[in-house]
Amino acid sequence: MLNTFSRTFIPAAWLGWQVESNWTHPLVFFLFSALKPISGVMILVFMFRAVSHVSTSSPLYAYIYVGNAFYIYVGAIVAGASYSILDDRERYRSLKYLYIAPVSIPVYMFGRAVARFATATLAVAITLAAGGLIFKVPIHPLQVDWPMFLSALFLGVLCLAAIGIILGSWTLTIRSEPHFLGEAVAAAMYLFSGAIFPITLLPRSLQPIGYLMPMTYWLELVRRALLGTNLSVFPTLVSYSNGELFGVLAILTASFGVVAFIAFRYFDRMARDRGMIDAQSNF
Amino acid sequence: MDSGWRLFLRTIVARAYPRVIGQQRQKSWIFFETFLPFIAVAGYVYVYRAMEASQDFMGFAVMGGAMTAFWLNVIWSMSAQMYWEKDNGNLALYIMAPNSMMAILLGMALGGMVATALRAAVILIFGIWVFHVQFAVSSFVQLFAVFLLTMSALYGMGMLFASLFLLYGRNVWQINAMMQEPIYLISGFYFPVKNFGMVVSLAASILPMTLGMDAMRQLMFSSGPAIGFLPVRKEIVGLVFLSVVFVTAAKYWLDKMERLAVQEGTLTDRRK
Amino acid sequence: MKSLAIETEGLGRVYKIRGNRKEKKQIKERVALHDVNLQVERGELFGLLGPNGAGKTSLIKILVTLLAPTTGRATVVGYDVAKEPKAVRPLINMVSGGESSGYGLLTVRENLWLFGQFYGLDNKTTRSRTDELLEIVGLKDRANTKTSDLSTGLRQKMNIVRGFLTNPEVIFLDEPTLGLDVSASRDVRTFIRNWIAAKPDRTMLLTTHYMAEADDLCDRVAIINGGRVLECDSPGNLKRRLRSEAIFHLEVSPLNGELASFRNLPGVRQVVHTPGDGKSELEVILESDEAISGIISTLTTHQARVLSLQKREPTLEDVFVDLVGMSLAEAEKNG
Repeated sequence: MLNTFSRTFIPAAWLGWQVESNWTHPLVFFLFSALKPISGVMILVFMFRAVSHVSTSSPLYAYIYVGNAFYIYVGAIVAGASYSILDDRERYRSLKYLYIAPVSIPVYMFGRAVARFATATLAVAITLAAGGLIFKVPIHPLQVDWPMFLSALFLGVLCLAAIGIILGSWTLTIRSEPHFLGEAVAAAMYLFSGAIFPITLLPRSLQPIGYLMPMTYWLELVRRALLGTNLSVFPTLVSYSNGELFGVLAILTASFGVVAFIAFRYFDRMARDRGMIDAQSNF
Repeated sequence: MDSGWRLFLRTIVARAYPRVIGQQRQKSWIFFETFLPFIAVAGYVYVYRAMEASQDFMGFAVMGGAMTAFWLNVIWSMSAQMYWEKDNGNLALYIMAPNSMMAILLGMALGGMVATALRAAVILIFGIWVFHVQFAVSSFVQLFAVFLLTMSALYGMGMLFASLFLLYGRNVWQINAMMQEPIYLISGFYFPVKNFGMVVSLAASILPMTLGMDAMRQLMFSSGPAIGFLPVRKEIVGLVFLSVVFVTAAKYWLDKMERLAVQEGTLTDRRK
Repeated sequence: MKSLAIETEGLGRVYKIRGNRKEKKQIKERVALHDVNLQVERGELFGLLGPNGAGKTSLIKILVTLLAPTTGRATVVGYDVAKEPKAVRPLINMVSGGESSGYGLLTVRENLWLFGQFYGLDNKTTRSRTDELLEIVGLKDRANTKTSDLSTGLRQKMNIVRGFLTNPEVIFLDEPTLGLDVSASRDVRTFIRNWIAAKPDRTMLLTTHYMAEADDLCDRVAIINGGRVLECDSPGNLKRRLRSEAIFHLEVSPLNGELASFRNLPGVRQVVHTPGDGKSELEVILESDEAISGIISTLTTHQARVLSLQKREPTLEDVFVDLVGMSLAEAEKNG
């Protein structure tokens, strides 16, 4: 089993990195990796500036900035898994060869996601550094609770990987508009997970969705680790202790892990039944 | 066999056809191209709400979200579409046929316009209904003119980008993906570009959306005139200029890039 | 009226291949075509025969204005393909094998209409030609099927109809039967034969690496390898070159040694060895029948047993072997 894992994971991770980075010179790749997230966060910065009565010293600013920065992981890993399947099936036409090889497809998806994790980490780091150095976000490396941050990051990314496997498996069975699935889920998480605004601002009927999302708890933990006690102004999860947040996140992560396992088996069988492994939409 | 302008028109209609028919035969796009963008727009609206911004700001977010539909249509359904055509082997057939590549691109644009217009309309309607956005249009004539001019400049720019693809292939696809957020930022999709200051705003005006959306904000919202960086009339003149420049440049570069691509041998090579 | 449909003079094509970052951006060159001189008369069905990588597709791409030549010039129906591509395009069309062009969501008929429009065909003409051609290729009952639901063979038939729909003066077929099964390939060849017979003023250039296809269909064949045209003549005349020679096919017990000992024998022109399952096959081209005795003696010296011996008529494969010194399969392996 370990042999299958390493035989699949390592080349998948290498391939993912090549696909992500090999299209241009490393310096250009680095510039673009920085440009995209910085621009995304600057949209929010300028939205702040445009509203004259709000200043960047407001806790809301830090809340939005950090949430938006870490949301980069969600797009990269969750939507990325779906795109990898599509790339392999439609553009490179290699998915069928992967399927008949003695590899594990979920491990392959996980390996491909690692490369996206690496590029996302670069983007997040650049965004946070820019926040601390240029955009007046109160992040001080010496005041960060690093053990809490790293633990939360680990759990959160694991959960995202599980969600990614679910979506990647689902993508196998979709022929029309398959590329929208990852985007759809990432967009929904953006709205309901409190990435850029407290979920208490949502209509009451929609707030429960936010409480069911693991990203809600993950982002809260990350913010607490990086920003300390500034978040007490937002009542959404203030009643949860750090331990409780970790507990909820761990349970949700484990649940999504189980769902990922079941989902892959289900969608894999469906894809084979429908002959979707080597389908091409050609549209 | 037709030639000249008749062939040009036939080509436009023919290339628009797969887009229009495809949308009717695969109705899943109605969900993905309307509801999902609306979710993205809602995120920005709630950010403004969190800041307790005035209602007009929510309108800016809704309007910006609606206009992204056109931007994405140009970038992905024109420029990057050529990449998919190359992959399928259709690009070689287009080049080899006696039609004009501009007609092919126009056909793609018009065909995608149906879905684009619907996407934009749904975002606007939902935005008005859900977020109680209120518009105060000062001149419908000017608004219509600004919209049309923005579209002509935008699609001219799209054709220019498509010609870049012909030579640079896959790299342009990656650049498209990377440039999405920077374009949203610099064009002020979700906030008035006046916040950049005059110099940066003027530089950003090379992008048709910058001038177009700034003018539309001034014409559609009560706080309009206070938040524009140039008067509407000047922005209209700017859009006319951009339209002419982009469409002319597109024709020139399409021809040039086709010649260069034929020399380099990348035109029909799927690997490139 | 121009009598030559296609003419090339000193045509060459060199590709620049940029190395990856490890190779520090070295630019290597690959010569795809070198000094190709061809003349194809109107009404000819002209074949380009050679292994994969010989330069056939590069030559076709130049002639259909998709690729610029590096040296030399080429004209199609009198127009220079590099300088006057717009004049060439209304008069030509191309069908490639192994492609998946077209739109999956559109039906066969819709795809054909679409491409007809790009050539300025009016709807009535498109409809009548579509019906006629679909009937001929046996696709009429699938005219309203979405192409994404068609098999590879049927999609290729649709592509063939697309190519002939515009009734081009010159049509280029680049490996049109590639990836098709025996039955579909036969249908395509029959179609090609009938079309050229019915339209004697139309010209066809066909590339293939199937010897039998070239032999069966073409008025003249140019044998191309490594970017160079080695010979150009009718299949009959090409084979007649070897008529004075004797061609034998031998099956022997497995040979492990060098073939030099065979090739150096008097009267032996070419020897091609193909290892098989528990045996070796030798194709030998000899200057006369008498030279076979030397082959048999050498086999005996190598303690090989002759399992079967057959004298046969020369084929285009033999012509290729005679010109290149190896079989088509070996030439493809050597790249």
